[in-house]
Amino acid sequence: MRRRAANATGEPPVRMYHVSKSYMAGQYALHDVSLEVRRGEFVFLTGASGAGKTTLLELIFAAEEPSEGQILVLGRNVARLGASAIPALRRHVGVVFQDFKLLEDRTVEENVRLALDVIGTPRRDARSRVFGLLKSVGLQHRRFHHPRSLSGGEQQRVALARALVNEPEILLADEPTGNLDPDLTIEIMDLIVKASTRGTTVMVATHDHSLIERYGKRVLRLDGGRIVEDVPAMGAALGGGP
Amino acid sequence: MNRVFVLIGLAFSNALRGIRSASTTSLMAVLTIAIVLVLVGGAALLVHNMSSILDEFGTELQLTAYLEEGLSEAEQRDLVERVAAAPGVERVELVTKEMALERFVEIAGSEALLAGLEENPLPASLEIQLRPEARTAEAIGILEASLDGLPGIDDFAQGREWIEGYARAVSMVRIGVVAIAIVLGMAALLIVANTIRLALYARQDELEILALVGASRTFVRVPFLLEGTLQGLLGGALALFVVWGAFEWLQPQLREGLELVVGRAELHFFTTAEALWLVVSGAALGLAGSIMALVGGRT
Repeated sequence: MRRRAANATGEPPVRMYHVSKSYMAGQYALHDVSLEVRRGEFVFLTGASGAGKTTLLELIFAAEEPSEGQILVLGRNVARLGASAIPALRRHVGVVFQDFKLLEDRTVEENVRLALDVIGTPRRDARSRVFGLLKSVGLQHRRFHHPRSLSGGEQQRVALARALVNEPEILLADEPTGNLDPDLTIEIMDLIVKASTRGTTVMVATHDHSLIERYGKRVLRLDGGRIVEDVPAMGAALGGGP
Repeated sequence: MNRVFVLIGLAFSNALRGIRSASTTSLMAVLTIAIVLVLVGGAALLVHNMSSILDEFGTELQLTAYLEEGLSEAEQRDLVERVAAAPGVERVELVTKEMALERFVEIAGSEALLAGLEENPLPASLEIQLRPEARTAEAIGILEASLDGLPGIDDFAQGREWIEGYARAVSMVRIGVVAIAIVLGMAALLIVANTIRLALYARQDELEILALVGASRTFVRVPFLLEGTLQGLLGGALALFVVWGAFEWLQPQLREGLELVVGRAELHFFTTAEALWLVVSGAALGLAGSIMALVGGRT
């Protein structure tokens, strides 16, 4: 397996200390948030729109810089990362969005391969890994299709395959099932949960309470940019692991 | 190492994909560069040929000194010796009045023009062959000044003024070509930069996704640089083809015209190295335009 250095020491892959993010003076998208997420843990972020779920995820994959506080992702201080170090961090962090963010002019295989292309993975290796990933999400037969010919659920599975093809240590998903019907929602969530059982740390932002209840994972509830509730996973409450 | 080759291959395929996906704007950039280089290349070819005609004049350049009437043979021979000793002179030939008349009749084809004249109106002259290093308008001027005071010399042929004027014209055209090249080059640069900038905006989604999956700045930027360079290369090649076609087409008429004016003229196309320079200039324009776009763009 690849790159597990940061966690080999048992350090939590995501740590935040008194982190705030403000876009305008006096108005916080995130306010004094501190948290730790352990390796392989699955965490739901929930809360109303504007509660700060997306901002929290953006801070973790360095799309935004914190206004205050420290964020350690895989042992790296995100607040101090130079522009040239951000790509290296992102190669360890897979991200999935509600709107899939697929390239319409590329095939399913090419879309998934992007994450391998950027690190110069030889074509043959890349193809076999993409095939394996697409097989695991049930889309190997669609690899030469373009995204527009796929259903929403299939597109999200492609996006998930792209996020996972690089074997990231962290998977972030921002409302990954927001555009999907209930059956497809479960299908996608099962795939994400499966990734966490292989040791990937997963954080999923959602306001779908049925999902939270169904999977019984740790829940961080945000309100007004603050964490107002941290509910441990059901298994953890009973003394089990994440 | 293998990864480096993979990344280089990807950069090229992404650049080609970029050109294909914005084929109209890419074509406009190629044509702009081609037009600029056709104008600059055509003008450079003109200067190149004007200069080589000037060089040919130089090799044939001689000074003719007309002698005063009534000089004795001994005085003429004395003048020949004194002129031959002047700096820059290789050989001096005396053309007597009689020899001048014979030449005139030979050129005119008949004596009819001289029929009404009682005596030979043509002066005797000295044809002064110059050493190679003295075959310039400036050197001739200096020689003329040194011979001007010699008794027996009446006047000099006016060839020097003509050559000086021609040399001035060549140098002015050369300056003009450089000025035009700079102005048109700047215009082409801005157009290429704009084309690449448009491509950047059109592919903002792609850039965003590349950034998400951890693409380095180099990975994102190099295809755009290659795109501009390839456009420039194509523009340069197209310009070379057009200039060559125009040269081949116009050459017979131009040669005929020049033969009438200056006696004989060999026209030359660019050497292989010069032709490559034209194509490379296109690539350099494309690359510079891309750099301008990326410096101002959001990548």
